[in-house]
Amino acid sequence: MTATDIRLKPRRKSARPSWDEEPSWFGKLTKALFLICYAAAIVLPIWAVVATSFASEEALARAGGNLLLIPTDLSVQAYQEIFDGGALTRSLILTIGLTAGGTALSMVLTIGAAYGLSRPGSLLHRPLLMLVLFTFLFAPGLYPSFLVVQKLGLFDNYMSLVLPMALNAFNLIVLRSFFMNSVPGELLDAARMDGAGEFRTLFKIVLPMSKAILAVIALFYAVGYWNIYFSAVLYIPGLDTQPIQVVLQRMLMSTQGLPGSAADVSQYQTQAPDSALKMAVVVCTIVPIVIMYPFIQKHFTKAVITGAIKG
Amino acid sequence: MAALQTSAPPAPSRRQDRVRIKNKRTVAQRLRHDWPLLLLTLPALAQLAVFFYWPSAWNIIAFMDYSPHRPFWENPFVGFAWFERLFANPYFLPALLNTLKFAFANLLFLFPLSILLALVMHSVVSTKIRSLFQSVVYLPYFFSWVLVVTVFVQVLGSDGLVSNWLLGFGGDRLTFMSDPDSFLFLAWLQWAWKDAGWGMIIFLAALASINPSLYEAAAVDGASRWRRMWHITLPGIRPVIVLLLILHIGGILNVGFEQYQLQRNAVGFQTTEVLDTFVYYQSVIGTQGPSFGTAAGLFKGVIGLILVLVANNVAHRLGEQGIYQKS
Repeated sequence: MTATDIRLKPRRKSARPSWDEEPSWFGKLTKALFLICYAAAIVLPIWAVVATSFASEEALARAGGNLLLIPTDLSVQAYQEIFDGGALTRSLILTIGLTAGGTALSMVLTIGAAYGLSRPGSLLHRPLLMLVLFTFLFAPGLYPSFLVVQKLGLFDNYMSLVLPMALNAFNLIVLRSFFMNSVPGELLDAARMDGAGEFRTLFKIVLPMSKAILAVIALFYAVGYWNIYFSAVLYIPGLDTQPIQVVLQRMLMSTQGLPGSAADVSQYQTQAPDSALKMAVVVCTIVPIVIMYPFIQKHFTKAVITGAIKG
Repeated sequence: MAALQTSAPPAPSRRQDRVRIKNKRTVAQRLRHDWPLLLLTLPALAQLAVFFYWPSAWNIIAFMDYSPHRPFWENPFVGFAWFERLFANPYFLPALLNTLKFAFANLLFLFPLSILLALVMHSVVSTKIRSLFQSVVYLPYFFSWVLVVTVFVQVLGSDGLVSNWLLGFGGDRLTFMSDPDSFLFLAWLQWAWKDAGWGMIIFLAALASINPSLYEAAAVDGASRWRRMWHITLPGIRPVIVLLLILHIGGILNVGFEQYQLQRNAVGFQTTEVLDTFVYYQSVIGTQGPSFGTAAGLFKGVIGLILVLVANNVAHRLGEQGIYQKS
């Protein structure tokens, strides 16, 4: 105990500037408690969800509820049911497809326009930029958007989940201001001197230098598609295979004993305990986010600041 | 790709030429030079034209007696009749008031929490603890509302984890997730869980940009920890707080749809009805028809437009950039 204290103390001192006095133990304790409680309020529910998804029927019955913190006699029955090729599997495949395809399309649109609008003084630069910026000021409204999707024949068509949200003007402006401020102009000039056209400059110089911000923007788009719920309620109410969030919502409604959902849910439920299956679906919707997240997290601040201050 | 490269203009020092004689060149010359930029911008503009500008133009039906069953030009103009019906609708005013209530509650109760989190985080010296804590609290921002509500039902619902504990100790079940009176508190808990951590990110950046020599000078002069926070830290992040407040007021009617729709059945529609759910339930799946829903949406859009413009004007007056440049 004392040995580690002696070894650790100088190191901790070095991180704190010399003029800063050591806080009182009371201050430290309050701060530590606050942080621990806050983190626990986020982590514990997620942990309980994961634990419950692996619970067997007996374990859940013994716990007498629909969520437990310590999993006993583990069971993967819920996951077997999700991946057995039934309605839940189809829903997951659909959601993965929408996310992959939608993100690819969004990145093409966003990168193209961000680069195309990054050169003040080019032909039509200002009016085109105004067309993009105006989207920040006004929202066309729910019903007209719904009407346009109908007129295009996209109602009850999976394209209606991707195309209307394919471009986010905020992401576009963030990326544009990164291209303008963080890619050195000398480099672009040099490329042009060497005879590189705009496309070659974009692919060989600008994009490789923007990997971090591209990753963050791709994450934002991907999360948007992965979390599609309302568009599906609005645009594809008649299709059998729904995005995973809609499936989860139907299961949730059935737990709350609310009307209008019992028939919808029966197609998802078979052998596994209700709670375990539901929590396994929750885990499936969290896992992709948690996997991508650590790679991109360190770049968040830069993207948010670029967007909030310079956008 | 190769074809594109050869067709691009290879002339050296073209960029400097353009800057110098920009205004003397004809449109055709500029087009020959800038066509790749226009081509790259085109897909995004097409998307905006179809899914932003076209629906925006459809707002015209708020002033018509629109029916999808007859040709567009045969729909008669009716002036503001739909808006009169909108304001006479008994559910419209409550929906508007609820929207404002949730928006201001979010502003008043979530902002301070984010700032508090950022201040505490900033005072933690260990970088390991900081990055660990940040990883944890940013995560729920990326969860869908369906997921957040599901987790809340499982933990705090009447059959949830906490209820079971309370029953075990001889207490009562929690019922506040289906109680209209406590819905504002519930909504705040959900915002706090989902978004407060993410909200701290921008304050942390602002805190990091405060010149550390200010703290040192104050400490040498004998200012305590609290005095340093009051006289250096808070003034240092004040511009960011003001800017964010203003920008949020601009978008205040956009309280979202999913959080309220998802809890509508459990809590009751009177409490959870906001403008977006009003349009959906009255017009999209209800019987009020296209023109009525469009009028409600246009009302929200125009108020939103005015608020954004006013908020930006205030931001410019306070010396901030706002969301568009005032050039």
